[in-house]
Amino acid sequence: MNETLRATGLPMHKQEADSSATLRNDNQAGGAAQVVNTIAPAKMTLAEVRAKLDGKSGKRYWKSLDELADTPAFQELMQEEFPRQASAGEWVDSVSRRGFLKVMGASFALAGLAGCTKQPDEQIFPYVKQPEDLVLGKPMFFATAHPFPTGAIPVLVKSDAFRPIKLEGNPEHPIAKGKSDAFTQASLLDLYDPDRSQFPRFRGEQADFNEFQAQFAKAVAATKTGEGVVFLSETVTSPTLAAQWKQVQAKYPQAKLVQYEPVNQDAARAASKAAFGEYVDTQYKLEDADVILALDADFLGGIGFPGFLPMSAAWAERHRFDKDKPMNRMYVVETSPTVTGFKADHRLALKPSEIDQFANALAGGNSTLSNPEAQKFLSVVMADIKKSGGRFAVIVGPGSSQAAHAAALTMNAAQGAVGKTVFYTETVAPLPTEQASDLKALVADMNAGKVQWLVMLGVNPLYNAPADLAFEVAFNRVPNSVHLGSHVDETGFYSTWHINKAQYLESWSDARAYDGTISIVQPMIEPLYAGKSAHDVLQTLLDPSVSAYNVVLANAKSYLAGGGGAAASSTPTVVAAKSAASVSPDQASKAALGLAAASTPLELAWRKALHDGWIANTAFTPKTLGAPKGGAATAAPVGSGIEISFKADSSVYDGRYANNGWLQELPRQVTSMSWDNAALMNMDLMGKLGIEENEAIELTLNGRKIITPVLMSPGHPNDAVTVQLGSGRRAEAGRVGAGVGFNAYALRTSDAPLSASGLTIARGHGTYDLCVTKVHNIEHRGTFAQRDLEHPESDKEGTYSLAGHEAMERSIIRYATYEEAMKNPDFAHAGTKDSNGTLVNKVGYNPQGEAVPHDESFWPDNWRYDHIEEVSAGKVLQNKWGMSIDLNSCVGCNACVVSCYAENNIAVVGREQVKIGRIMQWMRIDTYFEGDLHAPSAHFQPMLCQHCESAGCEQVCPVGATVHTPEGINTMVYNRCVGTRYCSNNCPYKVRRFNFLLYSDYDTESLKFMRNPDVSVRSRGVMEKCSYCIQRIEAVKIEADRNNRAIEDGEILTACQQACPTDAIVFGNLNDPKSRVVQRKAEERDYQVLADLNYRPRTTYTAGVINPNAELA
Amino acid sequence: MAQVFDRSSNALARASLVLAGLIVIALGVTLNSLQRSPWVTRQGQRPDQPVPFSHKHHVEGLGLQCQYCHVSVEKSSYAGIPPTKTCMNCHSQIWTNAQLLEPVRQSWATGASLQWIKVHDLPDFVYFNHEIHVNKGIGCASCHGRVDEMPLMYEQNSLQMEWCLNCHRNPAVNLRPTAEIYNMAWAAPSTDKPVWCAPTGTAGPTAQQVGCVASDPATSNPQVAQLSDPTGMGNAQMVPAAPVVTMPATYVKFTSQEELGHYLMKQYHIRTANELSSCEVCHR
Repeated sequence: MNETLRATGLPMHKQEADSSATLRNDNQAGGAAQVVNTIAPAKMTLAEVRAKLDGKSGKRYWKSLDELADTPAFQELMQEEFPRQASAGEWVDSVSRRGFLKVMGASFALAGLAGCTKQPDEQIFPYVKQPEDLVLGKPMFFATAHPFPTGAIPVLVKSDAFRPIKLEGNPEHPIAKGKSDAFTQASLLDLYDPDRSQFPRFRGEQADFNEFQAQFAKAVAATKTGEGVVFLSETVTSPTLAAQWKQVQAKYPQAKLVQYEPVNQDAARAASKAAFGEYVDTQYKLEDADVILALDADFLGGIGFPGFLPMSAAWAERHRFDKDKPMNRMYVVETSPTVTGFKADHRLALKPSEIDQFANALAGGNSTLSNPEAQKFLSVVMADIKKSGGRFAVIVGPGSSQAAHAAALTMNAAQGAVGKTVFYTETVAPLPTEQASDLKALVADMNAGKVQWLVMLGVNPLYNAPADLAFEVAFNRVPNSVHLGSHVDETGFYSTWHINKAQYLESWSDARAYDGTISIVQPMIEPLYAGKSAHDVLQTLLDPSVSAYNVVLANAKSYLAGGGGAAASSTPTVVAAKSAASVSPDQASKAALGLAAASTPLELAWRKALHDGWIANTAFTPKTLGAPKGGAATAAPVGSGIEISFKADSSVYDGRYANNGWLQELPRQVTSMSWDNAALMNMDLMGKLGIEENEAIELTLNGRKIITPVLMSPGHPNDAVTVQLGSGRRAEAGRVGAGVGFNAYALRTSDAPLSASGLTIARGHGTYDLCVTKVHNIEHRGTFAQRDLEHPESDKEGTYSLAGHEAMERSIIRYATYEEAMKNPDFAHAGTKDSNGTLVNKVGYNPQGEAVPHDESFWPDNWRYDHIEEVSAGKVLQNKWGMSIDLNSCVGCNACVVSCYAENNIAVVGREQVKIGRIMQWMRIDTYFEGDLHAPSAHFQPMLCQHCESAGCEQVCPVGATVHTPEGINTMVYNRCVGTRYCSNNCPYKVRRFNFLLYSDYDTESLKFMRNPDVSVRSRGVMEKCSYCIQRIEAVKIEADRNNRAIEDGEILTACQQACPTDAIVFGNLNDPKSRVVQRKAEERDYQVLADLNYRPRTTYTAGVINPNAELA
Repeated sequence: MAQVFDRSSNALARASLVLAGLIVIALGVTLNSLQRSPWVTRQGQRPDQPVPFSHKHHVEGLGLQCQYCHVSVEKSSYAGIPPTKTCMNCHSQIWTNAQLLEPVRQSWATGASLQWIKVHDLPDFVYFNHEIHVNKGIGCASCHGRVDEMPLMYEQNSLQMEWCLNCHRNPAVNLRPTAEIYNMAWAAPSTDKPVWCAPTGTAGPTAQQVGCVASDPATSNPQVAQLSDPTGMGNAQMVPAAPVVTMPATYVKFTSQEELGHYLMKQYHIRTANELSSCEVCHR
């Protein structure tokens, strides 16, 4: 038996035996009933990769190193139509093959009878008193906001019988405009997380919140001044909470509030303090920016960046190709490859210290950079910025260093962007602080025994505090620790008191969006476990009898029209509402209505605020600030050693979403890692250290060590390593998050939270097989279809990576530069010639994978959708649904994928199953890299069922379980499916998902509340795929039919379309000439993927256009 | 060596071949009829309910309209089961001490739901929608039978897929004027009892588009006909859908359901059989 990695004590594996199966050496010794889940890593040296990429002409795409290497192991993997499908070894319950056949023999005999079994009796539980406005079977929508440290995301909650079942961006809100993001979408699952803490605890035993209130209030009152009482809170986002804190402070002047989040805006705070003497937030209006320079600012990646929604929308709008409008140009300088970097027209990969040097040079304008590439980049960017006449923006964000912030402040002011594209406002967070230094001071106080009561509001410092502070040591010196948290997490477990926290969908609060607009956070459901909010905890020291609702209402008077702008008062005078804990949404609205007949302006304003989800005229007005003080700092020398960069994870953020299955399973942006994090580095560094991908290495920084697997990251700068925060949660995190990945916080110190130098790397810790979803979509057709001249050896088996090979040969990705597109608007359909004059994208297929001409088709007129319907007054053509995806706008942010999870009851399958290609997501974002390993470009392509008119899947289904509807949707009938999987084999797009095992959770009670009642929950043995959100189409159709009218364009939004922040996805009726989808498809850049197969896909793509600067080409 | 098998075994072997075939056929027939039997479909079964609620008494006897209890039938997929409150509207005044109603009072007092057994229970993968059926001219009785004559609720029809498809493939057989949706006793037009219908000329919801009368509008004013007629719920008489209509010239006389159905299909813009029997209509 080979030694497994478990023996080396990887920190990420505290789980029991099942997860240890994932860690094994390549030559795994056979045991009983193993789960086969390893894919041999690519053995490829740097030289080999270079050799492979050398001498390639034309556009060359690839998805993963494995694929590039084209190793025998990879070929072997690809030869299986479903990687690692049903082998005897995979029966997790260790039924032997013979036993299995015995059991199945009996099952087959009874199979006919099984169809006749009758359903069990079902019961109906009617209301005793039905809420007045409720129409069962029809969803209701309520407005609220998702509070996030970078600014609240206003949402509209779809509520089925008062259960929140889907979140959408608030369409009327000036910031959201109906769009949302992956975290907001996934916060729905957080609400129903079965691992949530369900009751308060005192020393681990169930306790009562009132008991805590009494004890805490008494103890604090005894101190008179509040000395020794410290609140350690996550970033306060609620103006009401801030007002409450001010009252507490007035009552107990010695009490302290420290805010700390591991991913914070300290650098921005420090820079703005230095420049202006006060804390300000920066708002960017990218609508007016012709040139954008982002310094380590991943503003297209998600709401971890403040202003993600308006900024990505504005960027995409200005980046659309329109002959009459100039296109913006984006430059990105960054360490870790992000979606922003790959959407940029020019990306420069620099290690953290070089970025600082770059920033200093930018601010100073005259320093020379040691890196000639960076120097050229800098001068080109500077020239472009100067040319723009102030219509530019230098963007910095939470991931940017202080030097970058200072440079941005200087540049934006000096070149005149301030007031045009860049605005400074007061901070969205009502109590801005520099968090790391505050935490440092707090730990010193704790060590000195000055803290008697440490009340932690929604934070988890025992997991994520900087390693150098030794928070756990200081924590042990605090006699009374209180933890308010959604889970009994690492901190909650060790705290004296743990209070279960209500999620935002269950509680009253308020928050500001990016532009400062205030939203009321109102509960959608009675707290599932009677949880409390930070408002309740602070109110303990004020007046425990006042509910969070009343506190929010009282404070709202300060910003509501008719409130007289009165300062927050702790005495609620308006209404004696019930405590928030017992308020369900209908009661809540009643309580709001209970402000009698809404006679006063204040009452009207409050009702309007709850109804609209936001309060008009509360947005910040830009501040007029002088020129920033300071300017260019002296350039710090660029270190020669290896540097490490810490990044918030694109899926689990700082670890708060670690127990969220949708986000854990979501392939990370760019890397497509699922259920893992890794040390990202480039091929050069790997070559220098002799590391192979998937090898476990030891990172040492200032004497602290962690063991991590390695993932090759194309486009990563040399001599730098990126690690993602938020993984490596301990068992307390919950059933999903425990033991996933490694904990990068163990290396992170308070003085270097973003990056550090002096990293050393040691090999020799075995292999850790990372879970990367990229190699999953594998094509396997006969040799008939394979006429590839470049890979003759692989053709013999007829196996392909759809991703790389077909992207290369068949133009799955098409794009052009702005100049090319202006010259030849039809570029997406014209062949390209390489340097030898040979037509690239050729062999065996139609040139460029074009659709089969009408008269060459066997069935030229077989698919007609021109039946005329009589609707009320006139005649209209029938509905013909189709979709268009603009590859120019898609930023790969994953919002659509998570939205699809929520809308369509998609199951989470777990790491083991993802590893063997069984991820159930109906849509995926394919990332295609192109070109040089060191400075690749990348293209994101959302891939989902194409709803082919002549669909291959339909032709091979033996039971008619996948059929065509009269409106042209390829529909899946779950109850007919017998699980032959022929359809998936015959699907060239690889978008069908099969329930190999029972993935849907039929047992967990809390998850049942979350399901969309309009979509079947699929059981084992059933194929599923994107349905174009057929339930939404049918619902609108019924409403339209009932009123005898045609369906209007935009009335049906698919879940992915609705979430998409950049409006990349458009769905509609192809028979309606006025519909947006028809207009999109009419563009010359519109193309079908694999069109030459004549499957006639209904989903088409708009080819991208980039706008590179000729001087950097 | 002696023959192992006697000559008679030949006959036996032949017989067993035939018999085996017969058994297979018999098994098939049995399973087929079992599958359609009330044991599986629950057709006609009356489960034990907490309260032996009589639709006959409340509908036929007292003349309650269907929507008094099933409030959302016109606007939602789900017709709605009345909350205890609806029962107590009357039963806090009458039959306040009836033993039969004890569970209702119990529910009212404790706030716990009455637990009814579902009589019309479709599989969970079927997405039936009351709203569109009721609005497009399918009467309650077409699926639920003469509920007004059921002392205890039972399933009149099998609710199996073939039964659904019978109508989805040919909706004309069940369409009726929208004014007659809740009329349990509506009978298809015949030569003895013809029906006259005319479009009202209003655009908008289906329910307002056709007016029908039971007496010849050419000889009598339909409104007079209505007034002269003692109309009741259990009474198979016509109620004009749009009383404002006076003597439209376009009244068409129908003497069979087939004719009326096709006329209404056109007027109500019922989708074609091809569309109505497409899978996604019911399965998602």
